[in-house]
Amino acid sequence: MEWLLLTEKCIWFGLAAVGFAVLFNVPARTLIAVFIMGALGGIAKIFMMKLGFNIILSSLCGSALIGILSISFAHKKHAPPTIFAIPAVIPMVPGILAYRMMLGLMSLASANRPTMNEQILSDTVHNGLTVMFILMSLAAGVALPMLVTRKESAKQLRFRKPGKRTL
Amino acid sequence: MNTATLHKDTKALGETLLEISILLMVSGASTERVRTTVDRISSRFELTTYILVSQRTIIISIYNDVNECVFNSFKRTLAHTTNFSTVSEISRISWLIVEEKWSVQRIHNELVKLSAIPHYPRLMVLGLTGLAGASFCRLANGGMTDMAFVFLGTFAGLLVRQETSRMRFNPYVCVYFSALCASLVAGCLIRLDPQINHEAAFVTSVLFLIPGIPLINAFSDMIDGNIQNGLIRGLHGFIVSFFIALGLLTSMAIYRF
Repeated sequence: MEWLLLTEKCIWFGLAAVGFAVLFNVPARTLIAVFIMGALGGIAKIFMMKLGFNIILSSLCGSALIGILSISFAHKKHAPPTIFAIPAVIPMVPGILAYRMMLGLMSLASANRPTMNEQILSDTVHNGLTVMFILMSLAAGVALPMLVTRKESAKQLRFRKPGKRTL
Repeated sequence: MNTATLHKDTKALGETLLEISILLMVSGASTERVRTTVDRISSRFELTTYILVSQRTIIISIYNDVNECVFNSFKRTLAHTTNFSTVSEISRISWLIVEEKWSVQRIHNELVKLSAIPHYPRLMVLGLTGLAGASFCRLANGGMTDMAFVFLGTFAGLLVRQETSRMRFNPYVCVYFSALCASLVAGCLIRLDPQINHEAAFVTSVLFLIPGIPLINAFSDMIDGNIQNGLIRGLHGFIVSFFIALGLLTSMAIYRF
């Protein structure tokens, strides 16, 4: 049952990524790759959270997986890795937390007696910081392969053994 | 080759490089990608290019092998409209220019072809973006009814954004109208069925507007050392988020949530 739910989430992550890919007008040949990356990245995040890691680290792992996969797909589909990676990480953006932060900010701004709002203040700061760190970890995860390998272009970077046949 | 022809060629190359940089910038490429692409192409002609990239203007200076400035010009960018097909094609072309030693005229001809790259059919974009919104809703534990309303809200919201852009409204105002429309549609559900919590539907209806590209490019620019561009992109993303929030708040005020 657990696996069924995970598979279902996988599909929704993939569909959300494809929706954004079409909105950003990615080349049609990359759509399947975007679906696979969105699904795998999302499921990696959920899996990490199930193992007890917090949402920020889980998002970093999910987006790092997307970043690594984007290099392989860039070679196979002859397109820059960012074209695959950006639509694929967008389903991991924490919309609900951002909304709660915004509600918190509004209630703080409209409060007549600010000293009475310690709980709201604490929740708002917590939600806001979580959103900020998740967004940064998503961007960092996508950029990770290029940062670690210190290459200027994905074309110079291959996760294959030398001498092995390339596509 | 005589001096006049060489000068003409360099001028044509400079203008083509400016055109390529601007196309990349408005289509959603990071600053480093713009710089790397321009360097790659100018290296094919054994010239050195210095480029200043800002959000709305690009300045290019080209130097020859004896360090003489042979071209210097700047151009203002158009409105930013994400198009990853353009980024992908320019990347492919830039490698072909080096590998097959293309002439300036051929690069120019390929750039003209780029403007003819088709977009996905409008209905397909609306439908799949709606489906993406519904997927967001499902991932936020929304039910089937929530998903249906989010689909409709996203569909209508994106339609409003496209139409308001066509009517040349300010881009941030387009985001506001779009967020307002999407959240009004999804907010209907909360009014129609007040017993059940439909927060997921209300929130995820506007997620198609999240400024993912500016925010990710902001981070990429900053870690590449282009702090100024990164800050500007980040601020742009923040303003877009503010207008999304404003749209949501307006519908909350209309529905009196």
